[in-house]
Amino acid sequence: MPLTSNTVGGMYALTVFTPIMGDRIDDLRAFLGRLPAQSSPLQRLGMVHFARWVVVPDFVSDPRQPSPEHLPSPYLLFSATFDGSLDAFLDELCDKLASEAETIWGCCEGAPVPARGVALQAYLKHNQIQTGLFFAAYPDASVTTVKRALGTREKAIAFAARVQGMELLALREAFIQEFAP
Amino acid sequence: MLRVKAGRTASLAASGTSVRNVDGEAVALTVFSTVKRWGLLELPLFFLFIRRGKNSLRTLKQLSFIHAARWSLVRRLPANGAQPEVRLRFPHLYFESNFNGGWEEYIDAFSYVLTLGMWGFWGSSYGFPNALPSGPFKQYIRDNEFDASHYYAAYPEATTTVVLSALEIAPKVEALWDQAHSMSAEQFHAAWQALLTDGQSCL
Amino acid sequence: MTGATLDLADIQGDILRAYGNRYGRTSYVFIGVGDGDRGRRWLRDRVDRVTTAVPWHRGRPESTFNVALTSAGLAALGVPEAKIKSFADEFVQGMAARADDIGDLDGSAPTHWDSGLGTGEAHILVTINAQSSSILEDALSELRGGLEAAGRLSVVAEVHAELLRGAREHFGFADGFSQPAIEGVSDEKAPGEGVPLANGWRALAAGEFILGYEDEESRADPKRRLPSAPDDPLGRSGTYMVWRKLYQDVALFRRTVREAAHLYPDGDERRLLAKIVGRWPNGAPLVTEPGAEPKGFNPKASGANDFRYGDDLEGLRCPLGAHVRRTNPRDALGFEGKLTFRHRLIRRGMPYGPPLDHRSHRDDGRDRGLVFVCFNASISRQFESVQTQWLNTGNSFHLGEDSDFIIGGARGKMTIQGDPPFFLSALGSFITTRGGEYLFVPGITALAAIADGVAG
Repeated sequence: MPLTSNTVGGMYALTVFTPIMGDRIDDLRAFLGRLPAQSSPLQRLGMVHFARWVVVPDFVSDPRQPSPEHLPSPYLLFSATFDGSLDAFLDELCDKLASEAETIWGCCEGAPVPARGVALQAYLKHNQIQTGLFFAAYPDASVTTVKRALGTREKAIAFAARVQGMELLALREAFIQEFAP
Repeated sequence: MLRVKAGRTASLAASGTSVRNVDGEAVALTVFSTVKRWGLLELPLFFLFIRRGKNSLRTLKQLSFIHAARWSLVRRLPANGAQPEVRLRFPHLYFESNFNGGWEEYIDAFSYVLTLGMWGFWGSSYGFPNALPSGPFKQYIRDNEFDASHYYAAYPEATTTVVLSALEIAPKVEALWDQAHSMSAEQFHAAWQALLTDGQSCL
Repeated sequence: MTGATLDLADIQGDILRAYGNRYGRTSYVFIGVGDGDRGRRWLRDRVDRVTTAVPWHRGRPESTFNVALTSAGLAALGVPEAKIKSFADEFVQGMAARADDIGDLDGSAPTHWDSGLGTGEAHILVTINAQSSSILEDALSELRGGLEAAGRLSVVAEVHAELLRGAREHFGFADGFSQPAIEGVSDEKAPGEGVPLANGWRALAAGEFILGYEDEESRADPKRRLPSAPDDPLGRSGTYMVWRKLYQDVALFRRTVREAAHLYPDGDERRLLAKIVGRWPNGAPLVTEPGAEPKGFNPKASGANDFRYGDDLEGLRCPLGAHVRRTNPRDALGFEGKLTFRHRLIRRGMPYGPPLDHRSHRDDGRDRGLVFVCFNASISRQFESVQTQWLNTGNSFHLGEDSDFIIGGARGKMTIQGDPPFFLSALGSFITTRGGEYLFVPGITALAAIADGVAG
């Protein structure tokens, strides 16, 4: 569709919006809250740059709108910015995060029981919100490329400061050693 | 050389937002706003205009504190299980950003520097108070913002500018390594100095 | 036309205009109020003596007397909780509670602070500026006597500061000049000290520094609303004060610079010092004097600070991360100064402690440094933003995580841009926070209201 842009360069912007079952919202909140901040399970997905789960209890109705509008139930928003195709990502998500995904989307209305595998993938796609405009500062750089580049830069900085004033012969040797792949 | 790294906590990076929205230097902003009927026409056209224009997102890039951002128009909620499809009475605009720095400084930058752009995105939303003055605009965002329950960034300590710098300098370092073996000590020294001089804004 | 005329008789002194270098001695005395009634009575007796912003037409007083309060102090003096809540969050929390946010970690963490600071014991800060030691001693005697007479009021912490020779601070740099030009007060200082426009400069709205007046945001508001302030009568004519005792490891700094100078190809120690700060030790800006330190520099001369970074965007004259470029970027962040003009600070600090012998590179164990004092209408938008976004990291200047070399806690490195660039690494932190408080400096009416117990 020309009016959507889920991709820019090599990156994909996925947004999934699913209804949460009324009696499961507390469980879901608690589970998401317990996911470790420092070692998120999302680390297992090597292609993901950024991701978030957001519980949306209801739309905010602005006092200036003619009438309030409510979501039929609280909703769960999942958004991910990743490299490559949607299908490849969903495969990885439902494989490497099978347990977490099942717990999380198992709290959602209409999700397959169990919320796993191909059926879960279909459910997520069914609830995808198409992106209208997607901005990425470095659309052609994969997570791997970014991480490697960051490491090289850090090494280069440390090296540059260390070798100030080093005599010529030693400098070339030190560089070759330090940056050997 | 001693590289002394001061300890840092999540709250340092994001003045004015919940710690749930923070991973290292990366900050999540998630906003839904209710859109007036005419936004159904204006927003897709505005998105198209931005996508086609070569320079439209240039200022956004120059501000260089946004890793990635997206805007989406939500018109309907599909049927799920016992819940029937819902055709929303009012379309809703979804906005999310992954950025660096303080929440206040971020919105300030939008207010002062991207004033017209803000109108393009939120002018068709109910209650949008105009991007300037920034106070009411910040309150509007706060009122329509949702805190993440879990936020993940793959390289949380790296800001957008650092990523861009790394992407620029790393290939140069690698290229120099490839050539280093066939260089004399003097040649290498000159090449190393040149790399530092040309790449100092990336280091 | 902008705001109302400033009610100088209601605003405390040394904020809009500095008392000046004639007052070479300053004492900061933190008082704990053990009994609200006695505290209010003590305050009542002194409200009329508080030095205001009214210009001195009939000679300077021998000493000046000013009063500021912490949020714990407001409570101790009986200001109702509902009123205290109308003050800014960060002020109510106090500086110690925000240590993580502003980078007071490790050795600078509040657990290591001097006794009485950051604990909630400090309620009232009395600042006395005096023209000589003997005048100061007299004023302090009187203060102490008055506290004793009042009963249940005690000194919980005190720091005595003194101007060093040449108005330098302990690292050897001329300091204290270049303050924001304020509309209706110091418009003539706008060139260089105001907001940089496409053509020329303009002064800043008074409300950026004094509550109850229009600030820069009010200008852009069709309804010209005033910035948020504590409930009447407490907010009007007041301002927030940031007070920090910063220990300076002069020996470490000198050793670092001396060692680095051995490898620095473009000059000597003095040049390196200038590159670190962005000004030569005598105060001359690097951007206008990139070659050599001029023989003399008069910071008070008109236009002395009239410079921009627009022609030095690569930092070849003044490094991108130089101290003064970080604390006041002027037009350096692009977009016609729109990302910088709301983060200005009025600074009034003073050095404390004896100078280290100018030839020494070895620590003598004495306590010396800077009492950093600044005034701003919003601690979070002004002081804390500068500290967290511009000093403790370098991202806004595209310097990654590099912190300010002098006061940023030795995070990362400092790049001196050049052909080729030169990198400075800190051997350790040159500055340690030894204590601090967020305070409110009430207008005279507000002070009287607090003293009369009618603030609620």
